[in-house]
Amino acid sequence: MLILASWETAYRVIGWKLWVFPAPSHVVDSLLEMVGVHTAFGEPLHTGWPRPLPEDRAANAARPQVEPWYGTPLVKAISYSGVRLVAGFAISVALGGTIGLLMWRFDAVDKMLGPLFLGLQTLPSVCWVPLAVLCFGINEKGILFVLIMGSFSAISLVLRDGLRTIPPLYPRAGLMLGARGWKLYWYVLLPASLPALAGSLRTGFSFAWRSLMGAELIFMVEKWRGLGYLLQMGREFSDIARVVAVMIVMVVIGMLADRWVFAIVQRRVQERFGLGT
Amino acid sequence: MRAPATPILTKSAPEPPAPRAERPVAIPTWARPAPGTTTGRGQLVLSGISKSFGGTSARALRDVSITCAPGEFVVVVGPSGCGKSTLLNVAAGMITPDSGTVTLDGQTADGPGPDRAMVFQDHGLFPWLTAAQNIEFGLKMAGVPRSEREGRVEDALRLVHLVPKRDKLIHELSGGMKQRVSIARALVMNPAVLLMDEPFAALDAQTRTLLHEQLQELWCQTHKTILFVTHSVGEAVRLADRIIVLHAHPGRIRREVQVSLPHPRNFDSSDINQLVKLVRKEIEDEVNRVNAEMAETYWKPQSPADLGADSGLMGDGI
Repeated sequence: MLILASWETAYRVIGWKLWVFPAPSHVVDSLLEMVGVHTAFGEPLHTGWPRPLPEDRAANAARPQVEPWYGTPLVKAISYSGVRLVAGFAISVALGGTIGLLMWRFDAVDKMLGPLFLGLQTLPSVCWVPLAVLCFGINEKGILFVLIMGSFSAISLVLRDGLRTIPPLYPRAGLMLGARGWKLYWYVLLPASLPALAGSLRTGFSFAWRSLMGAELIFMVEKWRGLGYLLQMGREFSDIARVVAVMIVMVVIGMLADRWVFAIVQRRVQERFGLGT
Repeated sequence: MRAPATPILTKSAPEPPAPRAERPVAIPTWARPAPGTTTGRGQLVLSGISKSFGGTSARALRDVSITCAPGEFVVVVGPSGCGKSTLLNVAAGMITPDSGTVTLDGQTADGPGPDRAMVFQDHGLFPWLTAAQNIEFGLKMAGVPRSEREGRVEDALRLVHLVPKRDKLIHELSGGMKQRVSIARALVMNPAVLLMDEPFAALDAQTRTLLHEQLQELWCQTHKTILFVTHSVGEAVRLADRIIVLHAHPGRIRREVQVSLPHPRNFDSSDINQLVKLVRKEIEDEVNRVNAEMAETYWKPQSPADLGADSGLMGDGI
């Protein structure tokens, strides 16, 4: 907070240029503008809100004065990115989960895929973009491809490691009580692997979110403008305030999802198992 | 004339031990022995069991044969590493022996199953289920209808005196309670044989004594065949009808001791303690010898007098 305040003060006193580096107030302006609130906190000698409309009446009439909140660029971008994330993450979890399970169950699969997946994890997900562009073209499939490739190997590895920590006593107890075949998997191994699953979802999500943002930045799909698109547009118009604002939104969304969804799920599971402290 | 001084301390004849408080626990019908026979089923025969791990050099068990009569309480004692847990796992069907067979009531038993219910040392209860759900688990797997399951779980909880804890998660229970849930989980399946793998080894002494009494009570009520493995001689003598001492490297039967004390035993009564001491000494010698053979040196703690003999001379040489 102190840093932000001194930054803002320095900005006002020295008189930096908006297009060199934005002050926090400009970022706030840009952020609010993207949700349809027009402010001018960044302009000196101004109360900030509401921002005076441009003098040019014709331009004013040309564009709609009030956009509905759900029609504003930021809300749209978040929902498009969200839909992509949900779809891609679901596929990624299904694929990564299956492979992780196979790796845990069969040593041969693990020996074959384990080192490969570790290698894939060192590859930044954006590096999949050129391949996706060539294979799928600039479209939704390409974005999903990058998202999935960026996250499923991490999900597999975390799940496999988690499954390996299941005490062998649980399957033995299950067998003793007559749980055989699929019943052993469904009633014993699946619940026993819940802590592993929760951990693997959490890791997978952060990988997926990062991959998606990277992919959207480069795949400029005109029809559905995601958060990455907004960021890239900011760059193209040299709108630094917009760039910083979108970056903040990305961090906040990633953090909220991790803190409010995955961390809570993980904590619940751990409490149930008595693993928490 | 003054009244005779009332003695401060009167030495009266020792009172007979108070009868243990009768707890009104009715044995549920499904756990009662078959009508007409006190010992319905549960004849467990292990014949010629051999098992080796990691090549032929380390033989965990060599040609071990044990016959448990229906309703008999058999305890296997031995030093650590003598293969007693392996033996129990073979009986449970968790480990396939290299040779030898396991028969239960005349039928060959292979693979684990609820007819030979096992109580593990680390309880092996499922942490994602409550106490009652853990007990219910085996019935659910066996496809017992829900209405019947509830009643049987209730009965089992009553048998181990854990009705108030029915909805607790496993990590909310104490060590002794966990083992009682584990016993209830085994008993609710109405197994022919109860296999117990050092079930009380991880408990404190007080809890262990309490559970000994409760297990004895349960056994007297249900007359299950019990094959119990422990490294504690005291535990073996308290509980067993028959004690089997295992020898290590390779594991085979060294000796069998019949404990012909009547059940239920009052662990505190002196004449029983006398007998326990005798048997205990006999077995401890055996275990010590096995231990000594394992370590290739015969090590026995020195008597306190020997240890203290030099203490008076401390500092003499200065």
